Amino acid sequence: MNKWDQGARLWARVFCAVLVALFFAFPIYWLGAISFKTADEIFAYPPVWVPASFDFQHYFSLFKDGAAWSVWNSLVTASISTLIAMFFGTIAAYSLVRYKTGGNHLAIWIISQRMIPPICVVFPVFLLFVAWDIVDTYYGLIILYTAFNLPYVIWMMRGYIQEIPLELEQSALVDGLSRWAVLWKVVMPMVKAGLFATAVFTFIFAWNDFLFALILSRSDVVTFPVKVTGYFGAQSSLWSKVGALSMLGVLPMIFVVGTMQRFIVRGISMGAVKG
Amino acid sequence: MTTSNSFADKLDQERWFKYFLIAPAVFIILLIGLYPFVKLIVVSFQNITMFDDELSYQGFIHYERLFEDDRLWESILHTVIFTIVALPIELFLGFLLALLFLERIPYKQVFVGIILLPTVISPIVAGATWRLMFDQRFGPINQVIAWFAGHEVKLLWNIEPILVWPAIMVAEVWQWTPFMFLILLAALSNVDKEQLEAAQIDGASWWMTFRKIVLPAIMPVMFIALLIRGLDLFRVFDVVWTMTKGGPGTMTETVSIYAYHMAFREFDVSYSAAIAFLIILILTVIVIAALRRMEVSR
Amino acid sequence: MPNLKIDRVNKFYGDVHAVKDLSIDVPAGEFVVLVGPSGCGKSTLLRAIAGLEDISGGDIALGERSIVNLAPRDRNIAMVFQSYALYPYLSVYENIAFGLRARKTPGSEIKKQVDWASELLDIGGYLDRFPRELSGGQRQRVAIGRAIVRDADLFLFDEPLSNLDAKLRDGMREEIKLLHSKLGKTFVYVTHDQVEAMTLADRIVLLRDGVIEQVGTPLDLFERPNNTYVASFLGSPSMNFISVEVSGGGTSMTLPDGQTVAFGSSQFSGKLAAGNYLWGVRPEQLSNSASSESTLEATIEVVQPTGARSYASFNIGDAHVVAELDAHAVNTEGQKLTLSISLDRTNFFDPVTQNVVR
Repeated sequence: MNKWDQGARLWARVFCAVLVALFFAFPIYWLGAISFKTADEIFAYPPVWVPASFDFQHYFSLFKDGAAWSVWNSLVTASISTLIAMFFGTIAAYSLVRYKTGGNHLAIWIISQRMIPPICVVFPVFLLFVAWDIVDTYYGLIILYTAFNLPYVIWMMRGYIQEIPLELEQSALVDGLSRWAVLWKVVMPMVKAGLFATAVFTFIFAWNDFLFALILSRSDVVTFPVKVTGYFGAQSSLWSKVGALSMLGVLPMIFVVGTMQRFIVRGISMGAVKG
Repeated sequence: MTTSNSFADKLDQERWFKYFLIAPAVFIILLIGLYPFVKLIVVSFQNITMFDDELSYQGFIHYERLFEDDRLWESILHTVIFTIVALPIELFLGFLLALLFLERIPYKQVFVGIILLPTVISPIVAGATWRLMFDQRFGPINQVIAWFAGHEVKLLWNIEPILVWPAIMVAEVWQWTPFMFLILLAALSNVDKEQLEAAQIDGASWWMTFRKIVLPAIMPVMFIALLIRGLDLFRVFDVVWTMTKGGPGTMTETVSIYAYHMAFREFDVSYSAAIAFLIILILTVIVIAALRRMEVSR
Repeated sequence: MPNLKIDRVNKFYGDVHAVKDLSIDVPAGEFVVLVGPSGCGKSTLLRAIAGLEDISGGDIALGERSIVNLAPRDRNIAMVFQSYALYPYLSVYENIAFGLRARKTPGSEIKKQVDWASELLDIGGYLDRFPRELSGGQRQRVAIGRAIVRDADLFLFDEPLSNLDAKLRDGMREEIKLLHSKLGKTFVYVTHDQVEAMTLADRIVLLRDGVIEQVGTPLDLFERPNNTYVASFLGSPSMNFISVEVSGGGTSMTLPDGQTVAFGSSQFSGKLAAGNYLWGVRPEQLSNSASSESTLEATIEVVQPTGARSYASFNIGDAHVVAELDAHAVNTEGQKLTLSISLDRTNFFDPVTQNVVR
């Protein structure tokens, strides 16, 4: 293989990579474009490829309508539930790994919880929430997301904790640290990367959830996916609002991918490799 | 000076500690996991509808109804076909992508970042986006096709029966191929380089190397990825909901949408519970069969 | 069978000049060992010969044809890897047959070759087992089997014994040497272990930092090293280096502790100009029979028995010296001995250039 071939191959691959990236990015671009187009531009034929100007009017209308609150709701429920799930999930994972608590059965049961389709449990959960009077509250959604994400957190962190050599903890114990201190001062720092990756995914799951939010919120804590579907009517849809609100929901994700890409990549790859 | 009981104390302490660690998580999961599951089964044996609140044991009538319900089986058919078609496509495309990015590429991170975007956005947004893209008059898809066809094209992607499923498939594949891509990329990168070099020196063609060395090496990971995605596809709801809400009519109704419909539109709660149970049963069977195969191959 | 010619090969990794203008001629059928510490460029050179790495400049030729621009599969070479690189999902038989199958060899021919190779390496018993069921030594043999079953012009070995434990290594060394004499092919063998180099090689190429320090037969390098690096690399325990001052007439030298050693009738007498030198003396060149013209006094500090011989360490001024003596000659710390020196076998080195002075 001489230098010529290598150079040509590289360029061919870069070209393909660009095409591929365009394919995956274009729809999102289109969505963004719609959010900035005027009504005329949106309903223009042939379609307008680039909006004439960055008109933020649709975004402003969202804030005026109060629809923008849905993004805030998503943020609150997703982040708090992620924190709680990460905390309890990680220590539970530690218990599973180091003490083999409950043996294989407990571990299998926990993992099987992840397989349950939301559609199957959504009604009973709804009844439960009605009974506790937490429908359409932050508490409700947070508890729900936490409960749903815990199995995932436990599964992932279990894998990461398993990689830590036992000797490290043992030498800390010999040095006089309590078990709790070992968990926080020795184990946690070592799985930092795993923590981040798992937290990112947990957050994304909760952020993007639709079905639970649909059933378990009414108007107070409506999250943005639910709100977006609300704009699709039988006759005409408020495309501009769909575009703008969706973009508001997508932007945090763009931010996450931009900054946490390493963790996302590792999270997805690890998840399967450790399966 | 240690007391004679300190060892026993230590053991107790440890036991207490490990339960203490896992208890909150188990508690929360039980709360939201176990109760609904039990309630589901119970409800499926009762007769709760919009009008009725009959809590007495009704026997298996709902389960019997499952067998006669054509719409249910249609939805299962839709779901199965959807899964069987989308899964290989995602696998194949993901594989091609992984091959593309396996060797050095400048700005690899940027490319991967962009490719990742569809997977991290809400399926609702994905569905909404493609619905807009496929709009028959104002969407860019028809416009691009028109360029190639040379004349105006008015494909009713969101309504025309033959076109609806392809449209949904496109949205689905667009969103989840990157997932397969990442997993396959990781698996391919982990193939032992020395084995590949030995194969090079032995004179094996690319295909032979792939078939005998690479494929067996990535099989376990690929299997897990297929299982995870397969289960997700079977449970699909969000993306179909935004694009067609199961329509036109019930053409694109998946099993999840049907169950939702039964529970929250017709309020035939008990029946929907039976459906839900059926879904769980099917999924469990698939998972167990898959796990069995994995154990065997070990 | 062609000979291997490496001509002024250079290899850069970015800014790092890993292989610097190397030239080696390997006649057909020779067992040549590339030896040196890690980072010296030996593996890089081997991989370049294999075609797994490109070179930045120079040429590599097998016989008449240059192979530098050929893909590995077209070079007609075979290679044994350090971690064996066996195909885990193929049986031992299929592993060995892999290269033959790749070249579309008919099944009957494959069977003949595989049987021949497995007979030679004594692995006939587990042809249908899988690599993970085999021990390290067995896997190594399969890796060698895979290499020899094709009729390659050149056999490359990349530290094949490094992953084996010591006992196994000794046995395998012998087998590899035997294999070479049976096959008669050209072997290029890379190792960092000087014992392997000494015992296996027809010729040794000692590398440091991408440059050849010396080429020659094992005994050549051992007895007539070109510089202190070569001298200290071969032999265990390694050569002692002592700063000495040669007297005006070149008839004696003064050791760091003030002792004088007479040259007597040795070849060095009168040949060395007066001045400072690094005197290189191997442990076995000191013995406790005082029957030589050149002797030195030593106060033993540490004794390490190894069976028939013992290593006795002592200090001469700042210099730490190890002597290899008969086990019964020395047994206590503090013992004072007079050691005789086989002066003619020792070497003198220029303390500044580190080169040998002949």
